[in-house]
Amino acid sequence: MATQTFAAQGFEQPVRRHTVSAAERNSTLFAAQQRSRRGPTPEVFFSKHLDNARLVKAADPQRSREMRSFAFAMAALFVLVMIYMGQHFSAIEYGYRIETSKQQLEQLHEQSTRLMLTEAQLANPERIDRMAKSLGLDAPLPGQVVRPELTPSSDATNGPVLAQAAPAPSVLTR
Amino acid sequence: MKNTQLQPLIAPIRRLRFLYVALFFAAWAAIIGLRLVVLQVFEHSEYLEKASRQQQHVFEVPPRRGVLYDRNLHELALTTTVDSIYVVPTEVQDVAATARALSALVHDDPSDGYTSAKQIEKRINSSRKFAWVARKADAKTVDRVKALNLKGVYTWGEFKRYYPNSVLAAQTLGYVSLDDAGLGGLEQKFNDNLKGTPGRMLAVLDARRHVLGSEEREPVAGENLILSIDENIQFMAERALDAALAKTHALSGTVVVQDPHTGEILALAIRPTYNPNDFRHATLDMLRNLAVSNVYEPGSTFKLVTYSAALEEKVTTPDSMIDCQNGAITIFGRTIHDSHAGLGRITVSKALWESSDVAAVKLAMAMGKDKFYRYIHAYGFGERSGIELPAETRGLLRQPKKWGATSIGSLAIGQEVGVTPIQLVSMVSSIANGGTYLPPRMVLSSEDNSRESGRLKPIPYAGGTDVPNPLPEGAHRVISTLTAAQMRKMMEGIVLFGTGKKAALDGYSSAGKTGTAQKIDVATRTYSKTKYIASFAGFAPVNNPAVSVAVIIDSPKGDYHGSAASAPVFQQVAQQVLEYLGVQHDIDIQPRNTPADKTPQIEDNPADHIGDLDALFASVNDLPADDPLRNPVQTPQPDTVARSETEAPPKAEVAADTPRSEPSTVIEAGVEPAAPEPRSAPQPQSETSAGFAGPTGSVVVNAGKRVTVPDFVGKTVRGVIEAAASTGLDVHTLGSGVARQQAPAPGTPVPAGTSVVVRFTR
Repeated sequence: MATQTFAAQGFEQPVRRHTVSAAERNSTLFAAQQRSRRGPTPEVFFSKHLDNARLVKAADPQRSREMRSFAFAMAALFVLVMIYMGQHFSAIEYGYRIETSKQQLEQLHEQSTRLMLTEAQLANPERIDRMAKSLGLDAPLPGQVVRPELTPSSDATNGPVLAQAAPAPSVLTR
Repeated sequence: MKNTQLQPLIAPIRRLRFLYVALFFAAWAAIIGLRLVVLQVFEHSEYLEKASRQQQHVFEVPPRRGVLYDRNLHELALTTTVDSIYVVPTEVQDVAATARALSALVHDDPSDGYTSAKQIEKRINSSRKFAWVARKADAKTVDRVKALNLKGVYTWGEFKRYYPNSVLAAQTLGYVSLDDAGLGGLEQKFNDNLKGTPGRMLAVLDARRHVLGSEEREPVAGENLILSIDENIQFMAERALDAALAKTHALSGTVVVQDPHTGEILALAIRPTYNPNDFRHATLDMLRNLAVSNVYEPGSTFKLVTYSAALEEKVTTPDSMIDCQNGAITIFGRTIHDSHAGLGRITVSKALWESSDVAAVKLAMAMGKDKFYRYIHAYGFGERSGIELPAETRGLLRQPKKWGATSIGSLAIGQEVGVTPIQLVSMVSSIANGGTYLPPRMVLSSEDNSRESGRLKPIPYAGGTDVPNPLPEGAHRVISTLTAAQMRKMMEGIVLFGTGKKAALDGYSSAGKTGTAQKIDVATRTYSKTKYIASFAGFAPVNNPAVSVAVIIDSPKGDYHGSAASAPVFQQVAQQVLEYLGVQHDIDIQPRNTPADKTPQIEDNPADHIGDLDALFASVNDLPADDPLRNPVQTPQPDTVARSETEAPPKAEVAADTPRSEPSTVIEAGVEPAAPEPRSAPQPQSETSAGFAGPTGSVVVNAGKRVTVPDFVGKTVRGVIEAAASTGLDVHTLGSGVARQQAPAPGTPVPAGTSVVVRFTR
């Protein structure tokens, strides 16, 4: 089946430059160029059956290797990039955590110092003396404080002891 | 066909338009490229700096100041963090209202002008980036300020020094300025050790200004000092001193407790005192450490030197008889009388018990001045003891070649010599420990560790019986062990039978010597007839002394004798300290209802003055330039210090660290000052403990000549100052304009250097 097209008709017509769009003009020009290349001979097409069953794709092991290498390299690169990014972001995260821990350490140290200050203020001898006096306490008189570690024990010396009838002094241990 | 051949076979694009577009893109790329070159090449460093400023922040991290511990590791001074309040002025919209609102919260002290609304507003207006509102405010105030939620108001953590025992050992510990610079006591002396090394932190900030990483050089905290002071002994000494001052209404008092076998100071109590947490309200009188910066004539306590030297030189023995000549002796035309007449030939021991001046003079003369001087010097008098406290004076002691004819007699009874309480207690300790002079010391060790680390161990009082072997630097033997033992026995007799009966302890033997000396009136350069220095120096127990105690009470009212004013303080302190230290009783404890000793108390009256006071005053000029007696203003005005800011360290602090180079205010006796510099403020003149140092610590020694007060009425301020300077007088000006009144009146003869008050009106 053949198709014949005559292109002389359109070629002779004047172009309405100002009314047609650029797309129409371009298609018109393109058709005109085809017609001019074809010339006056009509164009005839014939259908033909082609059998490509005998075509077999040849194996190319080198290319396969190259592709595998490339894929492996890309995968490795991807993993490395991911590892790097993971490390980078975890480093930032750790940075925040370390700073937080440092501040906590500093706060605890400060708290410890404040507690020491409070302890020292509470242990102020003047304060203790004032409280003791308010409770009716007084400094022990000479001899009222007995220090067992300084008093020679009769058991240790194993010597004779003079029996005495004296009121036992009150024992105050510090 | 002709038309067909002429039709071009190309894409329908116009060349000129393509050219325009290409040029446009080329220019665009060129501009971008140029801009990149400018940014990355020419302005590289500038933008790098900007980026660093934005992304990084360099902090100066102040170090924490070291802790001051007592020997049992009780904190005496430590540093903690508090908030300071500041303003960024550019963020404040209504400066006056903000200043008023802040002042209403932080201005809790009417005398503190720094936090007044006016001052805060002035500071905000004078700065664009930063202005302090209140430094180191308390937590409640900071909370209230934060609750206001004012724009542009922020807080900043700063270190603050705390003294948890407030006034306890205030002069010894000292205090620090707002910028953590030590300005007194051990804080000043060991400032370099205590302050530490500042650190630097380079912080990387994110877009929200959060620190996401930091690179830092950690600050090195200051060293911690372990002092020889025992907090409880210090409290006992201060309590006893407070009671004594309340009873005697004295001007000031000093109690020093020392371990005689090591020289360590266990307590150093001084009154009047101040609270180092609030040093701005302290006067210079309170800041002075009277134990090392003040001297006084020791009087009879100095006889211990005379007697021990005489025994050591084999001039006499305790049991030798000495003729007290019925209580009077004349040397080179000057007669000295004993306080109680009628002493004839008695033993040397009894002469000491009775505090005989005649015997002391005779013993000193028998020795000779060179030998006597050698012992005085060996006991540490006339030299700085080297104790770790600032502004220590070496005292007043002249070389024998400068002694007058009667000086040996004066020195024998404790006149013509100026000693510090530290020197006195060291001398007594030398006798107590068997004759070895041990330099007093206050700091036991300097440690990097703190108590919370658990690696610091307390150094409790050991109560040794021997001096260290080998002896520490500066220690030396003064008298033999035998002489020391004899002296201890004789001194025990003073407490048992002599002038020091009120120093007797219960359950412990004690020994000591009383002293009563007349104060020197600086203005008249004579001895005061109404003011005395009552002192007592002793130790207990006698055979193995555990503590030495010196008590000095300045100007007690009522019974002014050392036996009445100072000996009871010794008794109270020694008794409590020995019980506290657990020293075993060496004598029987008295039953509770023992009647009081009814035997008459022998009073240790001040001796007749034969000394040359002018020579003693002149000896001030022999002191080194940095001696507090010559150059007493060692401590900056607290008010000046209080105003210090981080941006501008106060000059006063700088001055505190550098010795003053201004000429001494001491004037050679008998020499008219050539042209004294006019002073804007008068030097107050009043009697001091020794008469050598004024209340502000200044040395005011007048020339022997008197000058006549000129007539200032009708003159200008400048004219008055010039006229006063030419006559050697000080001027205290009141008001401005022309002089209308003055005191003293014109024509009044006054000592040179006297302050004349002149009132000016317009």
